[in-house]
Amino acid sequence: MMPRRSLEWVTTAFAVGVALNMDRVPAWIPVLAFGFVLWRLLASALPVRLPGTLTRSALALLLVAVVLIRFRTLNGLSAGTALLVLMGGIKLLETRAQRDQYIMVGASLFLLLAACLDRQELLRSPLYLLHAWLCCTALGVVAHANSSGSDPRPIGPPSAPIFGNHAAMTLAARTLLYAAPLAVALFLFFPRVPGAFWAVPRSSVARTGLSDTMTPGSITELTTSYDVAFRARFQGAAPPPEERYWRGPVLHEFDGYTWRRGPGGPYRMQPLEYLGPVYRYQVSLEPSSQRWWFSLDTAKAAPNTRVLFTYDYQLIAADPVTEVTTYTAASHTRTRATGELSGLGRIRETALPHGRNPQTLDLARKLRADSRSDSAFVAAALELLRTGGFQYSLTPPALGPDSTDDFLFKTRTGFCGHFASAFVALMRAGGLPARVVTGYLGGEWNPIGQYFIVRQSDAHSWAEVWIEGQGWRRVDPTAVVAPERLRRSILDLLPDAVSAPARFVWSRPWLNGVLERWDALNAWWNDRVVRFSYDDQLRVLERLGFDAPGASQLGWAFASALLVWLSWVAWQLGHRPRRIRPDRLARAYARLCHKLMRAGVERQPSQGPLAYAGTIDRLRPDLAGAVRPLLLRYAELRFGPPRPSGQAADLTGLERDVARLKLAPSTETRRR
Amino acid sequence: MRAWLRARMARWIRRRQGLDSLPVTLLARRLYIVPTRAGIGFGLLLILMLIAGLNYANSSALFLTFVLMGFTLVSMHQCHRNLLGIRVLAATTQPTFARGQGSLTLLIENPATHARYRIGAALDEAEPATIDLSGHARQAIALPLAAPRRGLVRVDRVLLITRLPFGLFRTWTWMHMPIEMLVYPFPHGSLPMPSGGGERPGVRSRTNTGLDEWLGLRPFRDGDSPRQVDWKAYARESPLLVKEYSASAAELRLFDFEALRGLGTEARLEQLSSWVVAAESAGERYELVLPGQRIAANRGREHRHRCLAALALFGLEGLPP
Repeated sequence: MMPRRSLEWVTTAFAVGVALNMDRVPAWIPVLAFGFVLWRLLASALPVRLPGTLTRSALALLLVAVVLIRFRTLNGLSAGTALLVLMGGIKLLETRAQRDQYIMVGASLFLLLAACLDRQELLRSPLYLLHAWLCCTALGVVAHANSSGSDPRPIGPPSAPIFGNHAAMTLAARTLLYAAPLAVALFLFFPRVPGAFWAVPRSSVARTGLSDTMTPGSITELTTSYDVAFRARFQGAAPPPEERYWRGPVLHEFDGYTWRRGPGGPYRMQPLEYLGPVYRYQVSLEPSSQRWWFSLDTAKAAPNTRVLFTYDYQLIAADPVTEVTTYTAASHTRTRATGELSGLGRIRETALPHGRNPQTLDLARKLRADSRSDSAFVAAALELLRTGGFQYSLTPPALGPDSTDDFLFKTRTGFCGHFASAFVALMRAGGLPARVVTGYLGGEWNPIGQYFIVRQSDAHSWAEVWIEGQGWRRVDPTAVVAPERLRRSILDLLPDAVSAPARFVWSRPWLNGVLERWDALNAWWNDRVVRFSYDDQLRVLERLGFDAPGASQLGWAFASALLVWLSWVAWQLGHRPRRIRPDRLARAYARLCHKLMRAGVERQPSQGPLAYAGTIDRLRPDLAGAVRPLLLRYAELRFGPPRPSGQAADLTGLERDVARLKLAPSTETRRR
Repeated sequence: MRAWLRARMARWIRRRQGLDSLPVTLLARRLYIVPTRAGIGFGLLLILMLIAGLNYANSSALFLTFVLMGFTLVSMHQCHRNLLGIRVLAATTQPTFARGQGSLTLLIENPATHARYRIGAALDEAEPATIDLSGHARQAIALPLAAPRRGLVRVDRVLLITRLPFGLFRTWTWMHMPIEMLVYPFPHGSLPMPSGGGERPGVRSRTNTGLDEWLGLRPFRDGDSPRQVDWKAYARESPLLVKEYSASAAELRLFDFEALRGLGTEARLEQLSSWVVAAESAGERYELVLPGQRIAANRGREHRHRCLAALALFGLEGLPP
């Protein structure tokens, strides 16, 4: 039978391991695992039966089948984690022997590994460390609770259990602390192999972020989220606020209600002439499960080869962003196209659905007729938005299928998506190539980390219009209606519309300061720890004074760190019996004995004080008169019954008398 | 193959360490350490974790792996330290009867300030019995020792082992010392106890008057019944004294090996053993006569032991002087 304490620790380690992976597997899996945990705990306390071998095997097969059907694979982190959680739960039901308990601790550690592989946020890492501690403690408890032999018969008074929960936790914590320096050294110097040994499909959990479609309300949903989209650090000056347009998906196709990116095609990228200064910056993308990388308006080139720089100046990665990704890019915020828009491109960027939004079409035709140039047409449309009684709101009324008609002629209240959509529809109806660009506007400056935080709440959409001789020109119709949007965050602008926690933070500057620091710490964590790579390892070596470090220097650093650590641990844990300082009485007695020894009468190890006194009587009767009472007083204090009062005074007296005692050396010694 | 290796190893260790004499302090040169099965499993787990961490270039997973690697190495040191410095102060055996189970008692001391967990001791391949020792603690541990036959049971070596603190490593050592346990003959026999050695002169034979005759006071000896102690005198701060009466009920018994004709040697010894036990528990005085050996009439625990020891070692080699 399994010791109860051991069972408790093992199940706790497992349950916490499951909890750490709760958000990556379907909810029924952890629920089932917790059910197994509960079952096992109940079975140890109440007359509840555990399932037999047959039931367990059937259950295991069934669950493997369910996982296989649900995930369509057993390879991959999500499926693997799900399987580990379920099989661990079933294993728990048959856990009795010490071996089973060790396996459970191993499974818990594997769950911790899965959690590490899934998410590496700074906030979670203390949890991971705590769980590692928990598992190590469980290991100690399992080892201790199960290692009493078949017939343990310690003799003597039953002492209090000295390896309680507290002792086990302390021991595990101390062991982990000893291990910490090695872990840091290995982290720095253990050569990271670049590239993967095998590819495993990454999980794609839906997260908030821009998608490749836009309906009038879709961006509104994003603005209530306080999540970080990415962080951007400029090398040199940052662009002014009204130029901080971060380009995301460019949408080309409109069905009267929804804007879509549409399929790619043989569209050419117009060669550009760059105006204004170049901005160089580094972006750290948070995982979005999307393939969009963001650039400050128009990037000059793709940051690396795994990213496509499309004809509409968008950065699209080969793989979805599932972990924090960093890249550097250079951008211009003002450009001029030197080429022509191709015929195919013109058709695409002026297409409108047939028979939809008729009022918008009429309005556009009227405006176009009144304008002498493309620029005048754009200005007329913007003027209409500015003076037409339009309102900027995060909670606009819903629109029908003919969304731009409804917006322009009925509700007149909208968010950036509404304005951009209606404006582009107007432009296209007037024959001017135009498209919707979604992305982010602005960003919050973090003075501690010296970077901009761009949040989901900064999501924005604007328009681009093709003007002959100038190329694609950015037009932001929202800026006409709500010009303050350019300089201020949405939270500032429409505090009632955003989520309560964000509002709470916003209204308290000190809290905002704390959060700024926290965010800077997070950014540091992501930059320096999470994405610590082989190159970073070499950089560390360079800082340590190696010239042109390479793999062999890394090996040397690794080996010497290991050696230093091993000797440190050996020294720390070496057997160094500490002397216990004897108490005052013992010291007084030792002093007395020492004096007697120098006087020529040494106490034999087997002699007690009274026997010693007898020896002195025999060998040195001249000393007996002075020494005997002292020895008797010592014996009385040491072995006599305890007295409530006077004991301390007697002890002090004895110490004094021993100190004053002067003994003549023996006659033999004198003769010598 | 395994057994052969084990035997070779045992011989090598014996040659290497020599014979121990108490008290034994376990120093580093005699401690052996290897990973346990759980430790090997843990190592494999770490390798898997390392590969996964490198494959995903995942810093958290790698750091976790490195922490656990350090943990394993530290636990190796700790396992070694758990046994290092332990002192075995005494190894004693209690005589027992044949066909029963005796025990070897080890007195173990932890001279250091740190606690020791699950220090195990075992004979041969038995599952070790374990104790926990807090700093500067002493504790005894009893190991079961089978006593199949009368005579001496010899223990060549004692295993001291620990797997703690985390069960990943196993530190052990062998102690070699001549430990012997005396095994009395199994008390067995159906013959009636011979009543008094009447033919022997000088033996007082008393009639049972129902009143015990006061003989006097004598100092307390081990094995005296507390009922016979003169507690009143003790209360007057005199040493422990025992009131001695002539045991009126107690007769003098003579147990003679030669008198038991018609039985084999072992059967005779068992019969004698049975009589000694019975006579002692009845509080009688008895005398044991073996060929070439005579133990004068007496009673008490010591006398019983002398008689039973004589029976145990009768006819065996290496009789103690």
